[in-house]
Amino acid sequence: MQRNYLIVAVIAAGLLVFAFVTASSVGNFGITLMSGLFQGMLLFLVASGLSIIFGLMDVLNLAQGSYFMVGAYVSYSFHHSPEMMTVIPNPDLRFLMAVLVAVGIGALLGGILERGLLRPLYARPIFQIVLTFGVSLVLLEAVKFIWSTTPYSWTELFAFREGFFELFGQRFSTYRLFVIAMGFALIIAIALLLQRTRIGIIIRAGVEDSEMVEALGVNVRAVFTLMFTLGCAVAAFGGAIAAPFLGASTSMANTFLLPAVAVVVLGGLGSYIGTAISSVLLGLAVAVVANFVSSPAINQPVWQSLTPMILLILVLLVRPSGLFGKGS
Amino acid sequence: MTDDNILEVRDIHTFIGQFHILEGVSVSVPKGSITVLLGRNGAGKTTTLRSILGLTPPRTGTILFNGTPINGRRAFAVAKLGIGYVPEHRAVFKDLTVRENLQIAQRDRADLERKADFIFELFPDLKRLYQLSAGNLSGGQQQMLAVARALVPENQLLLIDEPSEGLAPVLIEQLMHAIRTLAARTTVLLVEQNFRMASQLADRYTIIDDGQTVASGSMPDLVRDDALIQRYLGVA
Amino acid sequence: MMQPTRSGWRGALIANWFYLLIAVGLAFLPQIIGLITGDSPFGVRGRPIGQSIFWQGVLIEVFLLAVLAMSYNLLFGFTGVISFGHALFFGAGGYVIGLALEYTELGPELSVIVGVIIALVVSAGLALLIGLASLRLRGVYFAVFTLAVAELFFIFFGRLPLTFAEDGFSITDLPTWIDPIRNRLGFYYIALVLMIVTFLFLRRLIYSPTGAVMLAIRENEERAKTIGYNTLRYKLIAIMIAGMLAALAGILQALFTKKVGPELLGLTYTIDPLLMTIIGGAGTFAGPVVGATGIHLTDRLLRDREIIIGATTIDIGASWALILGILFIIVVLVLPQGIVGTWNRWRAARQAQTTPPPPPSARNQRAIETPAAKSNP
Repeated sequence: MQRNYLIVAVIAAGLLVFAFVTASSVGNFGITLMSGLFQGMLLFLVASGLSIIFGLMDVLNLAQGSYFMVGAYVSYSFHHSPEMMTVIPNPDLRFLMAVLVAVGIGALLGGILERGLLRPLYARPIFQIVLTFGVSLVLLEAVKFIWSTTPYSWTELFAFREGFFELFGQRFSTYRLFVIAMGFALIIAIALLLQRTRIGIIIRAGVEDSEMVEALGVNVRAVFTLMFTLGCAVAAFGGAIAAPFLGASTSMANTFLLPAVAVVVLGGLGSYIGTAISSVLLGLAVAVVANFVSSPAINQPVWQSLTPMILLILVLLVRPSGLFGKGS
Repeated sequence: MTDDNILEVRDIHTFIGQFHILEGVSVSVPKGSITVLLGRNGAGKTTTLRSILGLTPPRTGTILFNGTPINGRRAFAVAKLGIGYVPEHRAVFKDLTVRENLQIAQRDRADLERKADFIFELFPDLKRLYQLSAGNLSGGQQQMLAVARALVPENQLLLIDEPSEGLAPVLIEQLMHAIRTLAARTTVLLVEQNFRMASQLADRYTIIDDGQTVASGSMPDLVRDDALIQRYLGVA
Repeated sequence: MMQPTRSGWRGALIANWFYLLIAVGLAFLPQIIGLITGDSPFGVRGRPIGQSIFWQGVLIEVFLLAVLAMSYNLLFGFTGVISFGHALFFGAGGYVIGLALEYTELGPELSVIVGVIIALVVSAGLALLIGLASLRLRGVYFAVFTLAVAELFFIFFGRLPLTFAEDGFSITDLPTWIDPIRNRLGFYYIALVLMIVTFLFLRRLIYSPTGAVMLAIRENEERAKTIGYNTLRYKLIAIMIAGMLAALAGILQALFTKKVGPELLGLTYTIDPLLMTIIGGAGTFAGPVVGATGIHLTDRLLRDREIIIGATTIDIGASWALILGILFIIVVLVLPQGIVGTWNRWRAARQAQTTPPPPPSARNQRAIETPAAKSNP
């Protein structure tokens, strides 16, 4: 256990030192960190559901990115719809409602997927990959049908999206800070759920051996449905709060799915804390490398895109079960 | 005799994939008894326990628990009727603490407080190890925990699979004592390879060979029947 | 259990007759289409157009996808190795042949030969390196590792100025015998022969002692190791063969479209063979071919069509992906073993009904066999 944290600490310290050395100013350093945390948290919002679902049910949910996308679209259209603008004129309140509606729709779609389609397939995990892939295609087409393929950018402003604060001579966006805070809040909330509640004990036990949990008198299928629904709701939540920044587009689904899968594996399958830590690490790594390679002196932006793959490959070669995975 | 049987398995056939594993197993377990399932490796003893619980549901046949058919129900529903399961290979949850391993078996909030004293009396080690994660326990301690876990709710029947497997003789003694103590308040259906242990513990036996019940009766009769023992169990 | 079903030589013959019939049918299909439509298989008025040419093109794509899917099936279906990076080998084949043709001064004939050889060496080398990682990485970890390596190359070549980054580059000068424009029919036969040879080669391989170890690894790698097999060696063989076959498919794909670009390394060429294998039937010989044929033909047939029901026009082209997604869901729910796997099972069940059950002594034997051991057609 201790060695995991040591490796994480070494990677994190290396990244921070590198970021500091290559930063052009303290303000630039701060922006890099902020951007890294922001990216990491967005990643975590997709990856957390993926991680729990995979750990508990051995389902690699390829539709997870689509729920993120759906969340963004729902939140966008709710906030921008003329009807809602008259019903809820206060933009901050309207955004809050938009997020809630997006979460509700994500949960609903997730529950339908698990109950309706995945249930017959728990004995055939490989087929679930095909099935969730099929669902991701269907969701993508449904989104194209409803919203067309043109990307939307967020135009209806609201107060705390526009806020800035100054530090070290740089302007920082309060909204980014809000997303980072929401990410941390979610990490802690899910950690508490897993560690402190009966359902958490059942989930952790189910990750090891769900059949034995069932044999002890727990309706594991109901727990599966609950967690799948929750995982999809969290992804939709991520999309909803990312929309004011990223807008809504059909490419969101796949842009976030691949790094999210990478993060879950990087952290170690079945390890929730591993997913959380590696999300932040990966976000930081990409931001730090991006800041370095996009400077006029280097100007090799390709390395920014390669960073997640390289980090993943290196970590797996050193730790074949990810940072916090079991056994080897 | 049906009235006295807490569990009555009648001619069940179980398939795993396309393989016909149980081809007619019948077992009767009288209330308050210790019944042991005997047979060679791969005869279908573990599958019988799993079929009773609904983990590998039988395709045909009947399973009566307290006179009510339970085949076709999901495993959690069967367990909730009052059947505890101690699987082979000490399947405790290694990432969970001893306490959490016991908590997960609770069916209502008071279960653990009600039973804790009884469990610690049977297995004093567990009290000391209460907050440790089960993965750090020794093989024997894990086996004790697996049995203790089945005692948390008020179970009427315990299905125990190969409890002595890989245990040191002194631990086997402790385990036998525990099972005997249990039998005073509940019924036990045991799978056991260790014939000496089985013959000392059990009141009744059922022999399964090649997926079929081939003999059953009272334990003292079996101990005297060298031919039967030779033929199906391969021990002298 | 690893031997082909020789219970009746007649049955084996009929099965092979079936394949033979399909092979002969495919060999003469361009001419048959030519006869029916009046469009010569060599093109119309000296230009590569007409129904026969069109269908040759569609089938060439099917053959190449079938080779790619069969190579994937060797890993996934027969050896039990899950890879999410198969496009790497496909793209490597395409890039190597493209570089050999456009960036060397060897002349087109020699470039093709040298390109194919280098492509095979490169893909085998990449497969070896990736395979060595499987010494330590298991299951999903290995799958995601291969995904990361493939994506690495995808992004790298998508930004590499030498190969014109994401635009890719065109292949301009090809020898006539393998030029899909000037000699479409010749290209058709090359692709068909590659598919048939791959099919026969894989069947031969799986029924060989090497193949038996691969199946054993699929069923239970630890047990295969305990028996004394160097499982890593056999996994490396499987990965290298699969990689080289995928590279061959990639070479022909690049030559067929006369275009080399990062899309050859893209996720599509990993996901397509995966879906085709699973839907056709993983671990069966015909499955990947059936999957590739079924998916690609439906794709081509439906993509540009419109259905007119009364006054409403449904543009299938626009909702093509939606139909494909729903199709995946239905097939997965209805056909648990894929098309060929389910067909085999159904046939085996029918045979079991008509033949008497084995004697009791054979029962034990049956129970010891691993449940997933399949009888392949």
